[in-house]
Amino acid sequence: MKTDAPKPRPLLEAKNLTLQVPIFQPNDRKLLSNPSRFLTDLYFSRTKRGIVTILDKLSFKLQRGERLGLIGANGAGKSTLLRVLAGIYQPSSGKLTVNGVAKGMFEISLGMNQEATGLENIYMRGLQMGLKLKQIKELVPGIVDFSELSEAIDNPLNTYSTGMRMRLAFSVSTIVEPDILLLDEWLGAGDTQFRAKVKQRMEGLVESSRGLVLATHNTSLMQSLCTKGLVLSKGKMIFYGELDEALDLYKQQQKK
Amino acid sequence: MLRTILTYPFDSFGRHAYITWFQFLISYRRTMLGPIWLLVSPALFIALLGMLFSRIGGNDPAVFIPHLAIGLIAWTLITGFITSSTTVFQRGRAQILQGGLNLVDIVIINVFTTVLNFLHKIILIVIVFIIFGIDVSFYSLVSLIGLALLIANGIWLSMFFGMIGARYRDLSEVVQAIMRIAFLATPIIWMPGTDGRGGVMGAFLVYNPCYHFLELIRAPLLGNPIAPLSWIVVITITIVGFTLANFFYKRFAHNVPLWV
Repeated sequence: MKTDAPKPRPLLEAKNLTLQVPIFQPNDRKLLSNPSRFLTDLYFSRTKRGIVTILDKLSFKLQRGERLGLIGANGAGKSTLLRVLAGIYQPSSGKLTVNGVAKGMFEISLGMNQEATGLENIYMRGLQMGLKLKQIKELVPGIVDFSELSEAIDNPLNTYSTGMRMRLAFSVSTIVEPDILLLDEWLGAGDTQFRAKVKQRMEGLVESSRGLVLATHNTSLMQSLCTKGLVLSKGKMIFYGELDEALDLYKQQQKK
Repeated sequence: MLRTILTYPFDSFGRHAYITWFQFLISYRRTMLGPIWLLVSPALFIALLGMLFSRIGGNDPAVFIPHLAIGLIAWTLITGFITSSTTVFQRGRAQILQGGLNLVDIVIINVFTTVLNFLHKIILIVIVFIIFGIDVSFYSLVSLIGLALLIANGIWLSMFFGMIGARYRDLSEVVQAIMRIAFLATPIIWMPGTDGRGGVMGAFLVYNPCYHFLELIRAPLLGNPIAPLSWIVVITITIVGFTLANFFYKRFAHNVPLWV
C-alpha cells in the first residue's frame, strides 16, 4: 500500500450521516390470498407511504491513500452509501465532506440506447459523463480497440450479444479516471481473455485514483485492495477500522 | 435552481443540444419519412379543420386558417412543455442514478427536445403564410419575444412539474386531462370574434393563461395588436413561476433521486 505524506484534510469525512428514504407500498398485498379483493384494491387502494432509515448515523474518516471496503450482507446499505458518497442521494441529516470528486460506476449498462449504434452510444455516454465532443473523438479509437468491437461498432446495440454490450459499457465507463473511485462490486465483463484486460484496467484506475471505496462480497479481493473496513448491518455501522479486524468481525457475526 | 441556470456553462448547452439532437434522430431512425412525420398530423389538422371550421364559424378561410395554423403549432409547444415535464425525471432515471446528469441538465434537455419538435413544425406556418399571401412586417418580430418567454417558462415548468410528477404519479394523468380541455377552451379552432374580450368568450380568454402566451406569439404574426393585459399576465407568470420552482427546488430537489 502507498504511504502518504501527512495531509490535514481527510478525503472523506462523515459525521452522523443518516439517510431516510420514503417508500411507497402498494396497499394490495392481500390480493393474492383473496381474489375477491381485486375490485376494491384496484379502485380504492392507496399507496402507503412510509419512511425507512437506510443509513443510520454513520461516522467515519478516510484519509488520503486509504482505501475503504464496505462489508455487509445484502440490503445492509452498501450501495446506498456509495450513492450518497457520489452525491446522488443527499443525506437527510448529518454531515458529509468530500475533498475531491467522487465518481461511481453503478449499473454501467444503464442508459444505453438500443436503437443507436455502438459508436453513437459511446458518444452519448461520453456527453452524459460531461466530456466535450472533441475529447470523445480523441478517446473513441481507444474505446473501440479496448472493447474489441471494431467490426460491430456501426451496428445498432440491439444486435449485440450480452457480452458485447457489457464490453462496450465497461470500455466507455472506465475511460475517465475518477478522483475518488466508488465501486459497487468489482466490474468484470466478457470471456477469460477479456477479463484479464478488464482486471488490468481496473487496477490501473484504482492506482491512479486518490481514493477508493469498494463494496463487494469478494473477501480476497477486498483484502488485496483495501486498507480500511466498514461493517454495515441494516444501515447501522457496527465497526470501522482496519480491514482485517472488520472482516473477522463480519465473519463472527455471520456465524451467530 | 436559478443560480445554476444563470451560471450555466455555455458548452454544457452545446452538449445538451447534441444529446437532444441525437435522441431525436434515433427516435425516427427506422421510419421512412423520419421527422417529416411530425408535420403530417398538424398538416392534416390545419387543412381539414381549417376548411370545416371556417365554414361553421362563418370566418374567411384566409383569416381563419393562419389563425388556426399558428395557434395549433404554438399549442404543441405549450402542451409539449407541460405534459412532458410531468414525467421528465422518471424518464431520466438512469442518468440521475448514475450521477451523470443533474436535474437542471435533464430539464434543459427536455426543453430542447420540445423546442426541436416545434422548430420542425414552423415550416407549416410558413407554407400557410405563402398560400394566403400574408405580409409580415417588422412588428411580426415581436412574436419572437413571445416565443422566448414561452421557452423560458418551459424551464421552470419542467422543473416544477417534474418534481411534483416524480412524487405524485397522478400528475401526468391530471395534466393530460386538463390540457385536452384547455385546447378547446383556447381560441385555436375558434376565433374570439370582433367583440373580443368583452364578449361571451371574455372569461375564456382573460382567465386562460395559455391564451395570453398564444397571443404574444400569434398576434404580431397576424399584424394584430397585443393587449397590455397579455404582457402583464405572461411576465407575471414567468416571474412567479421561476420563484416558485426555485423555492421547490431548494426544498425538494434532493428527494427526486429517491422518488424516481
